[in-house]
Amino acid sequence: MTIPEKWKADHVLWIEAFAASNFAFLTLDIYMAHSVNSFRRQAELVPLFFSIFAAVVMAAAIAARERRPGLWTVLGHIVGWGSLAVGVAGVVLHLESSFFAERTLKSLTYAAPFAAPLAYAGLGLLLIMDRMVDAQSREWPLWVLLLALGGFAGNLVLSLTDHAVNGFFRWAEWIPVISSAYAVGFLTMPFLITVSRPYLSLCGYALLAQALVGVAGFCIHAAANFHGPSAKILQNFIDGAPPFAPLLFPNLAVLAGIGLWVLSHGEATE
Amino acid sequence: MVIGSALIIGAFLVNGRRPSVETQQPDAAFVRASGKCAECHLQQQYSVVHEYEMSAHARKGVNCLDCHAAAENQQKKEHHGFAITTHMTAGNCRSCHESVYQEFLRSRHAAVSWAAVYGEKGLTPQQVSFAEQYHPGYAKRPPHPFVTLEGGSAMNSGCDQCHAIGRPNDDGAVGTCTACHARHSGSVALARLPTTCGQCHLGPDHSQIEIYEESKHGMMFAAQEHLLNLNAPPKALTTRDMFVPTCATCHMSGLNGLKVTHDPSERLSYYLADAVTNKRPNYTIAQANMKQVCNQCHTKPLIDRVYQQAEQVVASTNDRVHTAQDIMNSLRKDGFLAGKPFSNPIDFVYFDFWHYDGRTAKHGAFMGGADFVQWHGNYPMLKKLVDLRAMSDEMRKKR
Repeated sequence: MTIPEKWKADHVLWIEAFAASNFAFLTLDIYMAHSVNSFRRQAELVPLFFSIFAAVVMAAAIAARERRPGLWTVLGHIVGWGSLAVGVAGVVLHLESSFFAERTLKSLTYAAPFAAPLAYAGLGLLLIMDRMVDAQSREWPLWVLLLALGGFAGNLVLSLTDHAVNGFFRWAEWIPVISSAYAVGFLTMPFLITVSRPYLSLCGYALLAQALVGVAGFCIHAAANFHGPSAKILQNFIDGAPPFAPLLFPNLAVLAGIGLWVLSHGEATE
Repeated sequence: MVIGSALIIGAFLVNGRRPSVETQQPDAAFVRASGKCAECHLQQQYSVVHEYEMSAHARKGVNCLDCHAAAENQQKKEHHGFAITTHMTAGNCRSCHESVYQEFLRSRHAAVSWAAVYGEKGLTPQQVSFAEQYHPGYAKRPPHPFVTLEGGSAMNSGCDQCHAIGRPNDDGAVGTCTACHARHSGSVALARLPTTCGQCHLGPDHSQIEIYEESKHGMMFAAQEHLLNLNAPPKALTTRDMFVPTCATCHMSGLNGLKVTHDPSERLSYYLADAVTNKRPNYTIAQANMKQVCNQCHTKPLIDRVYQQAEQVVASTNDRVHTAQDIMNSLRKDGFLAGKPFSNPIDFVYFDFWHYDGRTAKHGAFMGGADFVQWHGNYPMLKKLVDLRAMSDEMRKKR
């Protein structure tokens, strides 16, 4: 199957596809994450059902985009604002688990990952941005980069707190922390100074490194879970090292890559 | 690069400030247990976390997995990413408190306590022979007749609740430390409270808590409990901490440098619980040990007088029990009393005579419970001896 030429240049569509696929994947991810808690509170079902809803609606929005652009806009806003609300509410509810009782770093470390629901907020903002910012403007790729930067900042916090649960028992647990810290550093610069094309290329290599770290993390987490304490592999995946968490690295590398691509392509044509 | 490096240094600095008790663990699961368990259990079974946080175990950095990790021969259970045991026994505690466990094992709280109800059943031959070394005839014995007569439900909800302190466990260990120290509080203070011993040492058959409450010791404890240092470290306990004694102070504590023991038999010179009380094999040394404890607060003449008077009560009670035994044996010998144990009304009168009244008189004498020596001990013995004679005469007449 060949990809039509117009889709190859349609970076708005790339973002839509990115968001839709992320919602679909989040369905599985959130199912496993809240299974740790056995979905003890009904509110834990909200992101699960919302992910399914958002993935389906976004698929419909993408399909309607060419023929009914008005519907595409409305559906995207519904999912975008809804996702933003789910994300913000999720942060508050995750913190509720013990942070407000103890207000210590330890309560952040062992509580439900407070930064994780921001994935929904990020996807929501991405969809809203995709409809509110002119796709041909220089601001568009910068917004994409900014949201990817936020994602890597979240990755830094998540990998730090998640691995702090283990006390960084293995030195390799520092790799994603170091990796995401440099990703944040690289992606911050375009917002502070005017960067050259070679710098954007360098960012591209940095993102490639992020993707590799993520894939390696996935393999390490999965391998550890095959040797977990439960006889049931699924249970080990639910209670053990979160297998999909490291995949946030390649995922965000793709998003930042889109921003970099459009930014460098735009600068080249300007 | 500068921003990234700054973030990494920040991360290292934050992580470096973590308490070493959390991070210096034998493996990652132990690190996780230092906080992850509480994350769920603050929502479910909150009290276990709260009790643990107040415990000496928490202060010393012992975490959930230190105790809940399956000990040798214990079945592991998967529990949210941890391999644990939920059926805790002395086998878990001994991994850190081996010498205490060995003392407990020699005590009558261990296999002997279990055997008092179920006999040898459930105990291994090694466990029986070990206990027999210290308490001859008290572990190698048949089950109590009540096991059959009253049935499983009475045993499970009744006798087991106390006698399980010496339960043989599947992991090969005997007993459970939590009977006195509780589970998540692991408390020394709790074990020093009279009410803790009184969970089991109460009622007409072993009314130690009632006797203690009547005694001067108990009365002063009720008035001055709030002035005592019940949490004082066992090896540093002095009469300044416990200037009023509880059960543990006299029977187990290492007061003013004396040896701490988890074997109360080290200070007990008589088998007071028996129908006819005999001296224990370690009578002399045990009595000397207890008198040494008494001597931390009392003078020798007073101590000797109490022992002399109590031994006289033991002797007189033995005489009365011998008289009652003669009546019963004579009825049996002459064919007036037949059938299984506890199948005739006179069996119960005789049993209550020594098991309730005889014991109470003897315990009361050693523990300063005057009312229990007389009105809950000697007086009902006198009455029941008359009853026994009357019933015996009646049985002989009917025939």
